[in-house]
Amino acid sequence: MRDVAIVSFSQLRGDPEGGVPEVLMLVPVVLEAIEKSGVPRKQIGFTCSGSCDYLTGAPFAFVQNLAATGAWPPISESHLEMDGAWALQEAWVRLQHGDIDTALVFASGRPSNSDLREVLCLQLDPYYLMPLWPDYISLAALQAQALLARTGHTEKDLAEIVVRARRAALSNPNAEISGEFTASELLQAPYVSSPLRAHDCPPISDGAAAMVLVAGDRARDLCERPAWIRGIDHRIDAQYPGVRDLSVSPSARLAGEHAGVGRGPVEVAELAAAFSHEELILREALGLGDEVLVNPSGGALCSNPMVATGLIRIGEAFRQIHEQGRERVLAHASSGPCLQQNLVCVLEAD
Amino acid sequence: MAGSEPVSFMQQMVSLEYKLRASPVAVDFARRLCAGTITGHACPECGLVYTPPSGFCSICVVPTNTREHEVEIADRGTVTAFTIVNPIQYRGQKEREVYAVASILLDGASGTIGQQRLGDVDLDRVRMGMRVEAVWLPEEKRKDSAAMGAGLASAIHHWRPVDEPDTPLEEFAEHII
Ligand SMILES: [Zn+2]
Repeated sequence: MRDVAIVSFSQLRGDPEGGVPEVLMLVPVVLEAIEKSGVPRKQIGFTCSGSCDYLTGAPFAFVQNLAATGAWPPISESHLEMDGAWALQEAWVRLQHGDIDTALVFASGRPSNSDLREVLCLQLDPYYLMPLWPDYISLAALQAQALLARTGHTEKDLAEIVVRARRAALSNPNAEISGEFTASELLQAPYVSSPLRAHDCPPISDGAAAMVLVAGDRARDLCERPAWIRGIDHRIDAQYPGVRDLSVSPSARLAGEHAGVGRGPVEVAELAAAFSHEELILREALGLGDEVLVNPSGGALCSNPMVATGLIRIGEAFRQIHEQGRERVLAHASSGPCLQQNLVCVLEAD
Repeated sequence: MAGSEPVSFMQQMVSLEYKLRASPVAVDFARRLCAGTITGHACPECGLVYTPPSGFCSICVVPTNTREHEVEIADRGTVTAFTIVNPIQYRGQKEREVYAVASILLDGASGTIGQQRLGDVDLDRVRMGMRVEAVWLPEEKRKDSAAMGAGLASAIHHWRPVDEPDTPLEEFAEHII
């Protein structure tokens, strides 16, 4: 495999109010990621983006987003109706071809346009499940219930995860929720959908993120401490939640195995656990022990710009290597109901 | 397949509501339009003039969101392409008569505005290169589109021919779309 590294990352702080057109959210982040990378914009070999037209509310909305890259003369690009983490995977594959050395990856989401509890129903099986309009929080609650029933974990354990995430988020300027809380005070809140309370659910905000990938020695020339993508894999569980054991995530386990998570010690893991219970499922699936620092950014529980969240996890993992001096970091992204799809990426320092 | 049961159908109505909010740039454009002025943004790097403006140059990726980038655009220009529409009478169709829509390159703009209604013109006479001018709605009828950032049609009823020589093809050849 050709060695490919992340050399720059930029993100927009999640905006719960929304209202900024997607392309205008993207312009500053794309420009910043490119500038930090040191690669001239016109020299980028491939561009790949992730966004969701169902969130924007218009067909082919993603085409407008390309304007943020100055796509004239025409550029080589691709788009995924997925979280930007999958755009990163496609860019990584593209760089394996060997004919180009640089790629730009970006993602944007604008959930403020619509009611997510309705829109996300459209990602469900259209015949048997979608007509029931089960909203994503209720589905997540079913998964949380299944996990608590199997493992004996309690709602207090879930609250403790939130306490830790919000404390970690105090040092993350991009987090929307942060602060010192105690589990017992959080547990005073009413259920949103049992066993989940508001604090167990992610905030909803518009957002965007971008990064630049560079292959081979050029990454070392451009970046003091690049983060090398040493493993990346994506697996999918059955689409219908009713045929799965929701308390486990076989797809996350497989993705972790194929990405080579176990080949060395993991210092930090940035998990796209948007709901508190998802962290427990993912820790188990990925075999992460207590020695692993999970979500030092506060994670998706504290800032969750839909469709950019996964790419931001990879960006945070990059920061851990580039700025914090870590050697080996795991990043995870998810898509679909109840952690249906999982992508795992292992980043290493030189 | 003898003996098999007939296929049964079920109806599943899906409706999603979106609340689209206009950007400040679009709101500004709409407010000026309601006051009778078409505005654009000029890129400080390449000089291209965008109308309606989007707040940045999509070629240079340079923001154009301050007053200094704003320029006034003429309410007259050149038809670069057109379509004669024979409206099919499907349910909900409001058009009854044949009509023409055009792409118009406004004087002072670097790109065309699309889907503009032509009027006061013999449809046989519509042609590329034809010079046209805006017929504005009376001020009180201009929709207060500032809230939604709607297009030119919220203030301009249609475009009519003006008595000027046609623009030579080479001057708009790049804008035939
Ligand atoms: Zn320009």
